Amino acid sequence: MNQDIYLIGTGQTPFGEHWDKSLKNLMDEAVTAAIDDAPINALDIDFIVVSNMLGERTNDQAHLGAMASSLLPHRPPALRTEAACASGSVAIHTALSLLESGRAETILVVGVEKMTDVSPDEISAALMGAADSEKDIPSGLTFPGIFGLIANRYMHEYGLTREQLNLVSACHHANGVSNPNAQFRSAIPAEKISQSPSVADPLCLLDCSPISDGAAAVILSNKHESHIRIAASQISTDTLSITDRPTLTSFPATKDATDRALEEAEITREDIAHLETHDCFSIAAVINLEDLGFAQPGTGIRLYEEGNRDSQIAAPTVNASGGLKACGHPVGATGIKQIVDLTKQLTSSNKRYALAHNFGGAGATCCVHILENTNV
Amino acid sequence: MSDSPSVTHRAQKKMHRKMQEGTIISFTTISHPPKGFGNRPRTIGLIELDNGKQILGELLNQKLETSNQKLIIGQRVAPRTRLSRINEQGLRIYEVCYEPLAMKPVETKKEFPGYIVALTGPSGVGKTTISRLLTSKISLYAAEVPILTTREPSNQDENEYTYIDAKKFEVLKKQGKLAAASNIPSSTDTRWYGYRKKDIEAIWKAGKIPVVITEKGLLQDLSRHFGRRSILSFGLLPPGKSKRMMLSCLLHRLRERGRDSEESIRDRLKNAEKDLDFFRQKSHLFDDLIVNEDVDAVFNALKGRVLEAVDS
Repeated sequence: MNQDIYLIGTGQTPFGEHWDKSLKNLMDEAVTAAIDDAPINALDIDFIVVSNMLGERTNDQAHLGAMASSLLPHRPPALRTEAACASGSVAIHTALSLLESGRAETILVVGVEKMTDVSPDEISAALMGAADSEKDIPSGLTFPGIFGLIANRYMHEYGLTREQLNLVSACHHANGVSNPNAQFRSAIPAEKISQSPSVADPLCLLDCSPISDGAAAVILSNKHESHIRIAASQISTDTLSITDRPTLTSFPATKDATDRALEEAEITREDIAHLETHDCFSIAAVINLEDLGFAQPGTGIRLYEEGNRDSQIAAPTVNASGGLKACGHPVGATGIKQIVDLTKQLTSSNKRYALAHNFGGAGATCCVHILENTNV
Repeated sequence: MSDSPSVTHRAQKKMHRKMQEGTIISFTTISHPPKGFGNRPRTIGLIELDNGKQILGELLNQKLETSNQKLIIGQRVAPRTRLSRINEQGLRIYEVCYEPLAMKPVETKKEFPGYIVALTGPSGVGKTTISRLLTSKISLYAAEVPILTTREPSNQDENEYTYIDAKKFEVLKKQGKLAAASNIPSSTDTRWYGYRKKDIEAIWKAGKIPVVITEKGLLQDLSRHFGRRSILSFGLLPPGKSKRMMLSCLLHRLRERGRDSEESIRDRLKNAEKDLDFFRQKSHLFDDLIVNEDVDAVFNALKGRVLEAVDS
C-alpha cells in the first residue's frame, strides 16, 4: 500500500436463508450496520463498490451499483465487481485502488448474494459459471464435482484418509457455534461428516459450504483513522479450467498472492495471528493451508489434528468464525465477511496481524488481504 | 447448460480432439448431475490424453462394476462417442465419453514392428474383394493373412479361411499365439475368428505388408497387440447418404452374392448396423473411411497408401 488506509466500519447480516428479505433488503441491512459502526455519517461516503456474482441469474437483477447507491441520501458514484467467489475481496482491492488513486477518500464496500430465491438445480448451474463453460460444463461437472476430482487426486498423492478429512468440517462447525451470524451454530462430530449423503465422491454434503443469503459491508478510508489498517492487498489469477493446470493438488494463485502480500506488508508468516481461509469444500481448506505456507505439501490436515496443533510453530487460528462451512457462503459477501470477522478477532485478541484468503472458482482468482492492528 | 445450436456446433467441431486414448488423473461420482444429464449418478474423469492435453469426460464404468473391479487413478481409457441428450429443439447432442480398458495393464511404449493394413466394414461391403485385389495386383508388397475360424467350411467360401475346431482355437488363444480373436454372434452358433501372430510375422519377414480383414473386436485386439501406430486402418462404407440407404445397399449385395441363406443375411445385417455405429463411436481406430462405390477407385486409393508405407 502506498498510503495508510483504515478500516473504519464493518457490518453484516446474519448468513442463512432469508426468505423474507430481498437482495436490496440484505444490502441495506449490512450498509446500515457498517455506517452505524463507523465514526462518520452516510454523507461522508464518496464512492461505493458492490460485490455480487449471481444477481442476474438468481434475482433477475443486474446494475447493482446504482441499487446500492440509491440506499444513501446523496447517491454517491458506484460500481460492481465480479470474480465468482472472490468477488468480495476483489471489491475491496478495487476500493483500495480507488483510494490510492485519489478518486475517493471514504469508500463503502458491500457484498451481497441472495441464493435461495431459485431451485438448487438453478443455483448449481449458475455457480458453474465460475468454471470454464466450454471445457468443464459439457461433461456434466458441478462445483462439488471439481473439488471431488481434486480430493480424490489429493488422497491418491498424499494418502489423506476420509476419516482425517472429517476433521476439517467438524472443526469449522465447532468454531461456528459461538458466531451469532453463522448459518449453522451446532457442533457436528467428525464421524457424522462422512455419514452425510454423498455429493461428489469422496466429498459428502457436510464437506461442502452451504447455499446462503447474506450481505457484509466495510468502510475504508484514508481520511478517517481507526485501529485497523490495511497492510496488504494482492490478487493473483490462474487458468479458469482445471484441465489447463499442471496439478490438481495445489492452487498456485494462492501461493503467489500470499507471497506478494507478505512482501507488501513486510512481515513473515509467523507474524499472522488469525487466518480466515476459503474453505468452500473441506479439501480446499487443507490445500489452502499448504499453499498459504502454514504446512508442507501433503500435511495441511495436521493443523486440524489434535496434538499436532501445538507442534506447529507458525500456526495462526484458522477460520475461528466457522469459515464458509459453518457461516454460510453467500458468494459475493464472503470475501468481505472474512474482513469483518478478522477485524473482530484482532480487536478482541489484541494481536497484530491477520490474513484473509478468498478465492474464486477452483482458485482461478485469489485475493489475499493482510490487516494490521495499530493498537499493538 | 446451454444446448443452443451454435454452442453444440462449436463443441462438435472440437470433438475429434477428444478421440484419443488416455490415462485417468482423477475421477468423481456426482450423485445429482446437473439438469439435462439425467438422474443417475454420473462418474466424471479428468483424463490426460496421449497427446498431453487434459480433458473432462464421463467415464463408463459399468463393465468394471459387473466384473467387481474398481476404477483407479492411472487406469487407461479409450474414447467412445455417444448420444448424450436431445435438446429442446430436437437437436441430437453427442459427447465423447471414456471406457476403462478393463483388465489391460498399462502398456509401455511398444517397439514399432511394421505396418499392417486392416480393412474393416460391415458384411457385404467388399472387404474380401478389395483384399484380394490388393494382394494379387501388388503381390510384391502385400500378402493376405489367413483367417482362423471355428465355423463350418462352406463351398461358397473363397479360400480365405483356415478351419480349426473350437477346442484348438481356445488352446491357441490361451497360449497367447493369437494376435487377435473375436466371436461374431449369429443365431445358429458362436463363431470365433482370429489371426495367428506367426502368420503376420512371417509376412513381415518376407518384406511384405500383411493385409487383414477385421471387425471391431479383431481391430481392437490388433491395435492393442501391435500398437495403434502399426495399423493402417481403413473403414469401408457402403454407398448411401443415410444409414438406412447403406443398409439397403448391403442387403442388395448380400442377396446378389447368393452365398448366404436369408436367415444368415438377417444376422449379418444386424451386425452391420452395429459396425456402422462403430465407425462413429471409435473413429480414433481408423485412419480413413472409404466409401466403396467403385472397386477400382478404392483399390487405387489403398494401393497408394500401401506403397507409401512400403517406402517408409
